[in-house]
Amino acid sequence: MKHTSPRPLQTLLALAIALGSACGVGPAWSQAAKEVVTQDPGGTYGENLRRLVYDPFTKETGIKVLTVQEARGGPRVKAQVEAKRTEWDMSFIFDQEVRLLDPYLAEIDYKKLSPEAQKTVASLPKEAVRPKGVALQVIGVALVYNKEAFPSKKYPKTWADFWNVKDFPGKRCLPQWSRFVFESALLADGVPADKIYPVDFDRALRKIAEIKPHVVKWWLTNSQAPQLLLDGEASVCLSYTGPVARLKKEDANAPLELTWDQAFTYYDFFSIPKDAPHYDAALKLLSYRLDAERAARVAEATSVALPSPRVYAAANPKLRDYWTNSPEVEKKAIKWNADFWGAKAPDGTTNEEYAQQKLNQLLAR
Amino acid sequence: MGPGVNMVPAAAAPLGPRRSARVNLRNPAWLLAPALLFFAFFYVLPLVDLLHLSVAGEAGLSYYARVFEVPLYWESLVRTFGIAGAVAALCALFGYPTALLIHRARGTWKLVLTAAVVLPYFISVLIRTYSWMVLLGRNGPINKLLVALGIVDAPLPLIFNRASVLISIGAVLLPLMVLTVGSSLARIDPLVQRAATANGAGPLAVFWRVLFPQTLPGLLAGVLLVFISALGFFITPSLLGGPADQMFAMHITQQADFLASGGFLQSLAAVLLAVTLLVVAVAARFLGLEFIWGGQRASKPARDTAQRRLASWRRAVLDRAADLFGWPLLRALGGVPAWLGRLVSGSLAAVAFLTLLLPIAIAALISFSDSAYMRFPPPAYSLRWYEKFLSDPVWMSSLGTSVAVGLLATVISVVLGTAAAFGLVRSSLPGKTAWMTFLVSPLIVPGVVLGLSLYSLFLRAGLAGSIPGLAAAHAIGGIPLVLVIVAASLQAVDTRQEQAAAVHGASPLRVFWFVTLPAIRPGVLAASFFAFLHSFDDLVLSMFLSGARMTTLPLRLWGNVNYKLDPVPAVVATFEVALIVIGLFFARSAWAARQRR
Repeated sequence: MKHTSPRPLQTLLALAIALGSACGVGPAWSQAAKEVVTQDPGGTYGENLRRLVYDPFTKETGIKVLTVQEARGGPRVKAQVEAKRTEWDMSFIFDQEVRLLDPYLAEIDYKKLSPEAQKTVASLPKEAVRPKGVALQVIGVALVYNKEAFPSKKYPKTWADFWNVKDFPGKRCLPQWSRFVFESALLADGVPADKIYPVDFDRALRKIAEIKPHVVKWWLTNSQAPQLLLDGEASVCLSYTGPVARLKKEDANAPLELTWDQAFTYYDFFSIPKDAPHYDAALKLLSYRLDAERAARVAEATSVALPSPRVYAAANPKLRDYWTNSPEVEKKAIKWNADFWGAKAPDGTTNEEYAQQKLNQLLAR
Repeated sequence: MGPGVNMVPAAAAPLGPRRSARVNLRNPAWLLAPALLFFAFFYVLPLVDLLHLSVAGEAGLSYYARVFEVPLYWESLVRTFGIAGAVAALCALFGYPTALLIHRARGTWKLVLTAAVVLPYFISVLIRTYSWMVLLGRNGPINKLLVALGIVDAPLPLIFNRASVLISIGAVLLPLMVLTVGSSLARIDPLVQRAATANGAGPLAVFWRVLFPQTLPGLLAGVLLVFISALGFFITPSLLGGPADQMFAMHITQQADFLASGGFLQSLAAVLLAVTLLVVAVAARFLGLEFIWGGQRASKPARDTAQRRLASWRRAVLDRAADLFGWPLLRALGGVPAWLGRLVSGSLAAVAFLTLLLPIAIAALISFSDSAYMRFPPPAYSLRWYEKFLSDPVWMSSLGTSVAVGLLATVISVVLGTAAAFGLVRSSLPGKTAWMTFLVSPLIVPGVVLGLSLYSLFLRAGLAGSIPGLAAAHAIGGIPLVLVIVAASLQAVDTRQEQAAAVHGASPLRVFWFVTLPAIRPGVLAASFFAFLHSFDDLVLSMFLSGARMTTLPLRLWGNVNYKLDPVPAVVATFEVALIVIGLFFARSAWAARQRR
C-alpha cells in the first residue's frame, strides 16, 4: 500500500481480461467440443449421478458431461427451442410435459442405442417408452411420519388417517401443489382409488379446507418435508420417498417411516430437446444410463429406481427396499395420472395450473 | 439495495472551484456514455421486451385483466404491501436506536458494532433464512428456553406464520435501515444538541426537537428503501411463511414453472415493477429522488423554496398544536431521567443486534455438527462437513465460478460506474438528477423482474449460462453502487490540486491518473468491495441466468438446501463470515496505515 499509483485497478483490469478470455467467452461459444449438456437435480442425487455415471462415462468415451442444476426443465426447454438456442442435450421432464412439449423435443433414435441399452428399453413398461421420451426414473410420493410423534405405536397408514387428527394427533405438512394433494384429499374423502380421475376439484378443495388448519407448512422443495418431520414441526407429511430413503440409508435410526399404501408413483421422462447441439453424445449417455448393472448401482445409491425389471434383478436385494418399482410398491401404490393434469382445463390453461390457482386461493384465505 | 448509501456526504461540493477546474479538464459528460449504452442493452431493452411479451399476440391486455380479476393476485399485491410496510416499521423501530447507539459509540467499540451490522448483510440470505427456521422452530433454542424457564408449557408456534416472515425479512433488511439512518446522524452538528441541553431542554426534548427532526429525512429514506426492497421478496416468505403469506413475487416464480404461462408470467412481473415504481414516484414527491442513492437531497435551490413554502402553512398549524399540547407534554416529560431513554433505546438496539447475529451464530454451530442432517443443537461436533466442502470438486468449482463472476462484475461495475461518476460530477450536463435517477434505478427493480426479463434476452443473445453474461447482469446492480460511492468521493476531491497539475502541463489523463485517482482510491476500493459482494451473494439472477458451464455458489447452496439435508450450507456461511471478518481486518489496517502517513 505504499504506492500512490492505483495498483488494484490495474490488477483488476488484467484479471478481467484474463478471465473474460479464459473461462467465459471461450467455451460458451465453441459448441463443437466433445461434451454433452444434461439437466441435473443437484444434491445427493446429482452427486451419485456424477460419481456412478458421468465420470466413468467421460473416462470411457472422452465426452465431458456438463450439468445444469435445475428442478423443473420443461419451461427451460421450451424457451431455448423458441429462441433457437438449444443449450441442453437432455432434460428430465414430467410425464404430461412429454406431450405438451412435443414440438420442442427431438425423436429418440432407439436403434442407435447400445445393444445392452436396447435390452433394457425392451424391458420397460410400454407407457415408459415414447418417441420423444423415455422414463428413466419412477418417483414416489407417500405418507411419511415421525415414529416418535406417535408414542402409542399406532401409526397413520392411509390418507383417511392423515385427515383424522383426532386419532392421529399432530401437525401435518403437504406440498403447495395441486398434484398429489387433490388426489390424497379425494382418497381421504372415501373416493376409491380407481375413481379419483377425473379429479372432482370442488370436492377435493372442500376436503383440503378441512385439513388446512392442521397443516403447519405447505412445502415447495424436495427436502422440506423430511426436514419438517425431523425437526418435530410436523408428525405426518406427504413427502417424496427418495430423500426419506436416502436418510434411512445414512442413519438407520432416523425416526422417519413411510407407508406405501395409497402412495403415488409417476415417471420422470428423459427427453432430448429439439436441435440439441450434441444429439449423438446424448444418445451415448442415454445408452450408458440404460446399462442394467450401472442403473442398478445408481438406484441402489439414490433409491430412485429405473422402471425396468432387468435393473431390479441386477440390484442387491438389501439395497432396494425403497425402490418405487418393487413388487410391494407396484401392488400398493397408485399410478399418478399425468394425462389428466396435462389436459385442458375449463379456463384454457392445463388442469394443473387451474387447480393450482384454486389451491392458492384456498390457502390464502 | 445499496449498502453504500451511508457513504454519501450531505451536500454537493461547492460549485466555485469546480467551475474553474472544468475549464482545464474539459466537459466530461461523454463519460456517461459507456454506462448508458450498457444500461440500454442490459437493462432497458429487457424491460421493454418484458412489457412487449406481456401484451404480445392476440393477448392484448387480457393477461393484465387476469391479474386484477382473479382475487388471488390483487389480494396478494395488497398483502405484499402490508408485509413490506410492517417490515419497514419494524426496521425503523429497531434500526433507529441501533444507529444511534453506533453513532454514540467510540473507538474499537464503534468498529465492532458497525461490523456487527454490516457482516450479516454479506451472508447468503438463504442461509440466514435457514437459521431462522432453526431458531424459531418448535424444538428450536427460543422455544426450549421459554419452556425451560417455565414461561410456556408447550412450544409456541413461532414459525410458518406472518410473524416469522416479518422477523426474517426484517432481519435481512435491517442493516439497510441502520446504515441509512447512521449516515444522517453523521451529518448532525453535535453542538446543536449541546446548545439545546445548555438551554434547559430535557433529554426527551432534545431528542424530539433536535435529533429527531434532523434525522427524519434519513429515517424516511430508510423506511422507503426497506419497503421497496421488501416488495420483491420471495425466497424468505416461501420458506418461512404460512399459506396466508403468499407474496406477489412468489406467484411469478410459481408461474415460471408452468409451460403455458408465457405472457401472464410477464404481466405479473410488469405489475410488480409498476407498483414498485409507483411507490418510488410517490415517495419522490416528498423526499426527492435522492433518497434512492443518498438518503438526503442535494442542495438544490428550487427544492429549498418548495420546502419553505410547504413549511410556512404547516408551521402555523404545528406551532398551534405544539403550544397547546406538545410543549406542556415535553415539559412534563422533561423530568424523565436520561437513563430511562438510554435503557429503552439500548434494549431496542440489543434486540436488533441479536436479530442480526443469532442466525449467524446458529449457522456456525451447525457447521461443526457431526450429524448427517441439520439438527440443533448438534448431537456431536466434528469437522466432517468442512472436509466435505473443501474436498468436493463440485463445491470448489462453484466457489471458483462465483469468484470469477464476482471479479468480472466488479471490473465492469467499477470501470463503467467510475466513468459515469466523473461524467455526472464533473460535467455541466443539464438535468443531473434525472440522469442519476436513471443510473441508480436498477437498485429498486425487484430481482425477480430483472432476472425474468434478462432470461429471454440472454437466450437470444447467446449469453445465457455464460460467465460474462451473469457478470453483466450483476453489474446492472453493481454500477449504481459504484456510482454512488465514487461520486461521493469525487465531490470531496480538492479540485485545486488538479488545477495545479494541469497548470504545470499535465494532460487531463495524467491529471486523472496521478492526482484524482489516488484521491478517490478509498472510495473506489470500497465500491469494488460492495460490487463484488453484490455479485457474490446473488441468488435470484443466478436462478434465471446460470447454465451448464457454471453454477454459482449461492445456486449450489439453493440446490443443496432443496435436495439434501446435510449441513454444508452452514459451513459455507461460516466461511463467508471468516472471509469478511478477515477482509474487514485488512481493510482497517490498510486504512490505519493510510491515516498515519
